[in-house]
Amino acid sequence: MLEPVLFALFSVSAVVFAFNVVFRRNAVHCALHLVGVLLSLSGMFVLLNAQFIAAIQILIYAGAIMVLFLFVVMLLNVKGEAPLLTPGAWKGFGFFFALIVFVELLYTVLSQGGTEGTPAAAVPLPPGFGSPAEIGRILYSTWLFPFEVTSILLLIAVIGAVVLAKRKFA
Amino acid sequence: MDATFLIASAVKVLVVLGFVLLGVPLIVWMERKVIGHMQDRIGPQRVGPFGLLQTIADGIKLFFKEDIVPDGADRVVFIIAPALPVITAFLALAVIPFGDTVRVAGHDIPLQITDVNIAVLWILGTTSMGVYGIVLGGWASNSKYPLLGGLRSSAQMISYELAQGISLVSVIVMTGTLSLASIVRQQEHLWFIVPQFFAFVIYILCGIAETNRAPFDLAEAETELVAGFHTEFSSMKFALYFLAEYANMMVVSGIAISVFFGGWHGPFLPPVVWFLIKLSLFLFFYVWLRATFPRLRYDQLMAFGWKVLLPASLLNLTVTALVVGLTA
Repeated sequence: MLEPVLFALFSVSAVVFAFNVVFRRNAVHCALHLVGVLLSLSGMFVLLNAQFIAAIQILIYAGAIMVLFLFVVMLLNVKGEAPLLTPGAWKGFGFFFALIVFVELLYTVLSQGGTEGTPAAAVPLPPGFGSPAEIGRILYSTWLFPFEVTSILLLIAVIGAVVLAKRKFA
Repeated sequence: MDATFLIASAVKVLVVLGFVLLGVPLIVWMERKVIGHMQDRIGPQRVGPFGLLQTIADGIKLFFKEDIVPDGADRVVFIIAPALPVITAFLALAVIPFGDTVRVAGHDIPLQITDVNIAVLWILGTTSMGVYGIVLGGWASNSKYPLLGGLRSSAQMISYELAQGISLVSVIVMTGTLSLASIVRQQEHLWFIVPQFFAFVIYILCGIAETNRAPFDLAEAETELVAGFHTEFSSMKFALYFLAEYANMMVVSGIAISVFFGGWHGPFLPPVVWFLIKLSLFLFFYVWLRATFPRLRYDQLMAFGWKVLLPASLLNLTVTALVVGLTA
């Protein structure tokens, strides 16, 4: 009974925030609405029994990455930036990518068997679904290789940042 | 979801809320008294017995002061910003267990607003959201000192969050759970301060930095930044920042107690009383520190966070993982 209401709440707020991210003129306001989107999505994750992902979403994306975004936006003060492309060209790009996403979504929905798919609630969840322990187990067994590749990628990024920062002051 | 659960939850929320709102003036009074005596003064003593009502009087004064929004300020963000740290502090308090399960009218009621299985992550998440109140407050004021103060303190909070999180992870590796209630329950015979002493030291140092308290109160270093991020805030907006600072001190102390000091465990006295005793000791420790240490310089603060605390917490985590892995 409560779940559809919460779902509606989170999805509507996510969409409204997302629109604001695009349409707001002030870059700081855009960043703040993006935080709103992330928080709404985190609420959806809780509804999907993925509490761990929800917490990580808040901790990493809303709490750390967006704060750094905000930092950059505040310090750069992006008002008088010369546009990279003409507004018409940007619109063209926008429509092109929107079309790709639409086709992708359409394909996904159609290949799932359309309307007669089973509702998610009918499938019983495996025990411990979404718990940190279970996610850790899967991450370090089935998905070990992608996990390690990602960590090396992040390590490269960290070292790269240090090298770039050092060079400037040397 | 039955009616008893709803009623019990509502009562617990109101009790915790009331406790914090009444406790903060008391802590402020305690701070002024203790610092007064440590500096060979007597502190407030005119309003009420022992000056107890001084903070209430100050609160009323703040409430009736003119509420000023600077001309160039971003009005909406300026109004929202002071509320954010208060909200996040209360959200974090929701998962701290302050007593054992009690039996009321045939129902078992845990003395904790909610026991989620990701409590530790929840707390880290809410604290990281608390940064927004400060950085946005500084930005929305549209004035250089607040902006610098806001940026400074958010850089500080992000830097210290890492070591803080990792120091808590060492305890999680030991206990195998993220729920604060079970972490407390596992400390019945041995408080985790004993096996995890270094984690505790790192945690509490980071906790002090997270709450922007002396000697890490660079966000409001008067000699350099006027009053930092809250320079332009007056009246109730300033009071909210003030409230958030003290509520966050309670959160940091509450987590330290639950994770390292056995939570509500203790002999003879009822669990809730033990929790309150430990909480008071921690808050006294905060005040004691403030009276003892001068403020760090900004480069010292950053160097200490990144070059000392972070490697130390990683080392501690590695050793803990090795010990747990070899003995398990």
